[in-house]
Amino acid sequence: MTERARFFDSLRRSLGREPGAAPPAPAPESALSRDADDVRARAEEIRREAQDNAGPLSDALKQAAETAGWRVAVCETHEEAARYVADLAREIKAGSVVRSAHDAVERLGIERALEGSGVEVRTMALDDAGDAEREEQRLANRERMIGAGIGLTGVDYAIAETGSCVIVARQGASRLVSLLPPVHVAVVELGQVLPSLDELFALLRERFGEGDPESYMNIITGPSRSADIEYQLVTGVHGPGEVHMVIVA
Amino acid sequence: MEPKTAQFEQGAAAALGDPKIQRNLSGLYDGLHQAKNIAAAATPDWEELRERGRAIKTHTIEHLDYYLEMAERNVKAAGGSVYFAADAEAAREYVAKLARDRGVKLVIKSKSMVSEEIGLNDRLIAEGIEPVETDLGEYIIQLAGETPFHIIAPAIHKSREDVSELFEDKLNTPRYERIEELAGEARRQLRQKFIGADMGITGANFIVAETGTLTLVTNEGNGRMCTSMPRIHVAITGMEKVVPSLEDLAVFLRLLIRSATGQRISSYVTTVTGPRKRQDEDGPEEFHLVVVDNGRSGLLADPHFREALNCLRCGACLNACPVYRKVGGHAYGWVYPGPIGAVVSPVLTGISDAKHLPFASSLCGACREACPVKINIPRMLLKLRNEISEGDNYPEERSSTLAERLAFKGWRAAMSNPAIMSAARSAGRLMQGPMTRGEAGPGPMAGWTRHREAPSLADKPFRKRWRDLQDDAGDSSK
Repeated sequence: MTERARFFDSLRRSLGREPGAAPPAPAPESALSRDADDVRARAEEIRREAQDNAGPLSDALKQAAETAGWRVAVCETHEEAARYVADLAREIKAGSVVRSAHDAVERLGIERALEGSGVEVRTMALDDAGDAEREEQRLANRERMIGAGIGLTGVDYAIAETGSCVIVARQGASRLVSLLPPVHVAVVELGQVLPSLDELFALLRERFGEGDPESYMNIITGPSRSADIEYQLVTGVHGPGEVHMVIVA
Repeated sequence: MEPKTAQFEQGAAAALGDPKIQRNLSGLYDGLHQAKNIAAAATPDWEELRERGRAIKTHTIEHLDYYLEMAERNVKAAGGSVYFAADAEAAREYVAKLARDRGVKLVIKSKSMVSEEIGLNDRLIAEGIEPVETDLGEYIIQLAGETPFHIIAPAIHKSREDVSELFEDKLNTPRYERIEELAGEARRQLRQKFIGADMGITGANFIVAETGTLTLVTNEGNGRMCTSMPRIHVAITGMEKVVPSLEDLAVFLRLLIRSATGQRISSYVTTVTGPRKRQDEDGPEEFHLVVVDNGRSGLLADPHFREALNCLRCGACLNACPVYRKVGGHAYGWVYPGPIGAVVSPVLTGISDAKHLPFASSLCGACREACPVKINIPRMLLKLRNEISEGDNYPEERSSTLAERLAFKGWRAAMSNPAIMSAARSAGRLMQGPMTRGEAGPGPMAGWTRHREAPSLADKPFRKRWRDLQDDAGDSSK
């Protein structure tokens, strides 16, 4: 008997089913019950509301994010946001900035804002090359991220309920830009803010329902922290100890 | 991990006599327990959320085979592997063989209770592989060669001086005064491990069946490191951690995190669906999910204990428990301490060694009240006590004497028959002297009377007083 058969035989016997019996499809009591059309309709509605209520949602995000330990800056334009990041880089003597290829970051034009400052900006995106070459670039990028003073990313969503940024890893959006440098700056654009976790997971269900979903996502809320010694809060344990949220209104 | 549940009394006595442990334990109530209560009070639909969480969990556990097979299909569809391990050895062997086959030398680990449960580290070390715990608390107890003291705060029994001495001793560091310096040292030490590791091992807070998505709740960022840096990611989980839908995560993340630390959400919630895609910038090439039974089907098979599988491992019942807050986590002798541990350990590790645990409770009900999914822990503790003392399923463990069993049989008969009860009461009034005066009773009664002072029986029984009162009321209304 395979280990899998052993596992499921014991499981089914414990549930009072005949060993080997096919499991009955349950009458779903969870969110699973919604069919694909419902999921899509709900997602449409969520996107519409995120646009219609962008202002109030952004205000709520700012408040929750500050409570959660983000330093929040609200900027009128992408240029102003770029200046904020450039000033920060100079202030903390960042040495180098690593950034993702998120649209919001592209729109910032951080390279221009840091021109002549001596701060190097590198985009963490692999070339479309063979596997071996990509692996080499991957390791080189990792070294750059470890050595960088700031990691700069966009977000896929932000959550007003919790003061969080949501970053889905994919081409141009490394898992590590928001993790390895000691300072993370996340750029949030108007219309990206969702009211709560409910809306986030409803949108993800739609994403998963349609085609090839991404493999990795982080909901990031404030700095890396631990209270493992004497309940005393310390930040920057493994991830960034300082996090900035730049909301471009 | 080798259970030491038989030594509860010694462990409890040691903790009670250690002023440092008592001081560190006292922070649990003011820290985590109060933070949880504040967070719950600030969540407007908290009670509704608990009911919903309980309903989803109960439903999922009733159809566990269905949802586990759904999760398996979807993890595989995302390019991952799934292994179902009936016992600890099967799980250990799977991970050890994988590590051997892939030439793994260094493993970085994010906190996993199941890994502790199955004793994975010892096995890896025996294979010549170095496992490194990377959660700050787990790192400390691994260096100290100890076991976790608390589900979410594993090293909370240690003071900063203890940790500083430990680092000095094991890592040749200077003496540190501040906690920030200790955390900074751990960050430097572990960065090198993250960079050099071939395999990352994590637990799982949830597995979403409909998408095959693993969910990790962390605060330090080590979970993100373990799932992003090494070329292989192995997640080990108990079979009860599956939930049907992504949208259920919104419910459970709220319940789990608020109950665990009082945060609205943790610093990081990470979802992993298979290994990295070809176009991804980074991430592991392989993803393996190991689903462990290891005695859980015993909980599942018994309707009295099935709801123990609803547990989210938030630790709220520990912080709420007046017994845990005095004796601490090590006394319970296994991975899962506190009220839920007192239910789970006897069933998972065998009742003969763990028979003291169900009695380590005042049955005050604080655990049930604190539980985000309202698990009725006191009911299960009572059931275990009953099974142990009556010797129902475990005749060799029967703790009661013949006299006690006869006395309780008599009690039951008397309580269900007014005539016998009335006669017993009259006899009791005549014979109660030594017990109500605080003296030890005679012979076999001594064990019951030495530390207990029985209230004396009233001259006039309540039934009689009630009748008289009603008569009086009837008289005056005339």
